[in-house]
Parts: sequence; structure tokens; C-alpha cells
Amino acid sequence: MTDPHEVHATDIDLSAYHDAELPAPSRLRIAAHIAACPLCAKRLADFAVLSADVALLPKESLGFDLASVIAGQLPAPARSSRRTPGPGWLGLLPAGIGATVSIALGIAMGGVLFGGGAALPRETAAMSVFDSIPPGGLCLGLDSCYAEYSNKTGVVK
Amino acid sequence: MDDKTGIDDADMAQALSARAGDRRAFAGLVRRHQDRMFGFLLRMLGTRDEAMDVTQDSFLKAWRALPDWRPEARFTTWLFQIARNAALDLLRHRLRIEFVSVDADPAHDMVEDYAPSPEKQFSDRQHIGLLQRAVDSLPVDQREILLLRELEDMSYAELALILGINEGTVKSRLARARAAALTNFRHYAGESPDD
Repeated sequence: MTDPHEVHATDIDLSAYHDAELPAPSRLRIAAHIAACPLCAKRLADFAVLSADVALLPKESLGFDLASVIAGQLPAPARSSRRTPGPGWLGLLPAGIGATVSIALGIAMGGVLFGGGAALPRETAAMSVFDSIPPGGLCLGLDSCYAEYSNKTGVVK
Repeated sequence: MDDKTGIDDADMAQALSARAGDRRAFAGLVRRHQDRMFGFLLRMLGTRDEAMDVTQDSFLKAWRALPDWRPEARFTTWLFQIARNAALDLLRHRLRIEFVSVDADPAHDMVEDYAPSPEKQFSDRQHIGLLQRAVDSLPVDQREILLLRELEDMSYAELALILGINEGTVKSRLARARAAALTNFRHYAGESPDD
């Protein structure tokens, strides 16, 4: 360093200058500085030699055809996670139809169960177990049972 | 630069076909890039076996991720992003950031027959060996950016994309990597820092 007050270019600027990645004004400023500063010119030359040398490092080779090795391991191509079939709600249409049909079927089956029809006699029969008169009208108990039976059926025993 | 453009065009066509499920097109991409990717991974990981495994895994991951690749992104950039992430995963997994010393592996000193005279060959071999040692001794973040720039000729914008950092950080990290590599080289060569 010849002049202690001289402001040198930074490694960051010299490195970016070497890569031609500086914007034009900075590039011109660095170029002017390098022309007048042997120290920075030497540093820039070091970077250039390093780049050239690294490019000379031995090229490594895998040594076999990887494509044929992995050919059998490739799974079926996946669908893009970004692609959707049209607008978002359209993709939900099949599921919506399925849900609607399920609900409609549920309502219909519920209507059959609770709205009368074949299930009703079975329910009546089941409830008659708790009547004072057992199924079949047989009562081995008090006479009052027979009176109640007469009231219900109109048959006097 | 024309070579790079030509490769990009070929990559683009084959990547689009592969994305549509064309396995032969994908095989073409693998053949074109397998050695470059392996070379990068070998210098990142330090061992051939691991570099081979990660190269293979990276291509399998690329195949699975291809439906999400967009032609706006350069295929090589995208591919190296996958490879770099896989390498970092492995490095984190084994909790080892420092390389095995290249002194222990004579294969590192092997170099192609460039020079005519035995003296020149020896000198070149020694020079390349020292340089390789200097690069391998860099911290991972400096080594990867230096290799991607110098060997893969990636622009600062591409480096920013691959490494997940902004271009300002690319600039400073690359400068630090170069400065450190030069310091390492001089140290191993027995030169004083002012030489």
C-alpha cells in the first residue's frame, strides 16, 4: 500500500467486477481505480487466476449410465400440485353430487321407517308387550283384565 | 456462451417432454447432467459413495417434482437447487461440516495428463492438489457458492435462487469465498500472505 489514505476497492467490488456483475457506474469507477492502483489490480488478477485454476480442477465422472440404473425406479408421473381442473368449485362437483345423493337417500329411508308402512305393525306388536293385556289377549290375572279386554274388543267373555 | 444456450434449449425441450411423462426424455436429461451434478456433489460431500447416492436421489426427486417445474426457470438451476438441498440435508444429518482432509485420499491429487514434461506435470499436479485442498477446506456456504460460480458458470441471480439468498449476499459471500480460497492456497503452498 503506497498511500495509507488511499481508499482501495473492496474484495466485494473487485469480485463482482471480475464477474461482470456490477452496474455500469460502479464498473466504471472500479475500472478507473484499478488502472491507478497496483494493489487492487493485483488483487483482481488473483481472483482471475483463482477462477481459471478452479476451472482446471479435474472433472469427476460418475463412471456409469445413471439413466439406465434409475429407469426402473421412476414412479408414474405425478400430477402437478399447481394444476386444478378449471375453477376451484368445479373440482368439488363430483363430491357435492355424491353428498347430495347420500343425504337424499338418508331422508327417503328415514321416511320409510318413521312415516308408516310395513314397520308400523311391528312397532305396535312390540309396544303391546307393555300393555296390561299381553299379546294374544291371554291374562291369567284379575277379572278386571277381562273387563278391559271387553272394552277394547267389544267381546264379552 | 453458445454452448450454454444450446444446452438450455435441449434441456427445455426434454424437460417439457419429461414433465409430460416421457421417460426417454428424462433419461436424456440425466445423461447430460449426471457428471456435472456428481462432480459438484463430490466436492460438497467429499466421498464418492455419498455423492453417487445423492446424485441418484436428486434425479429421482427431480422426476417426481417435474410437474411443478416451470419453463421460466432454467432447468440446470432448478436441478442444482434440488442437488444442493439434498447435499445439505446429508451434511446436516451426519453433523459434519468439515471435509475429510484431502491428504488422506491420493485420488484427490490425480489430474489428467496436461503437461508434456514430467517436471511440469508434477508442478501442475501439485498446484491443482493444493488448490483442491484450499477449496475443500472452505466452509460449506463458501465452497458451494464458489463451485457453482466457477464450475457451473451460474449468474448472481441464479446463485441467489439456488441458495435462497439475495444478490447482495451472493456478492459478499462469493468475495469472502474467493478471499478465503486464496488465503488457504497460500497457506498450503507455504507462501506468506503478502506474496
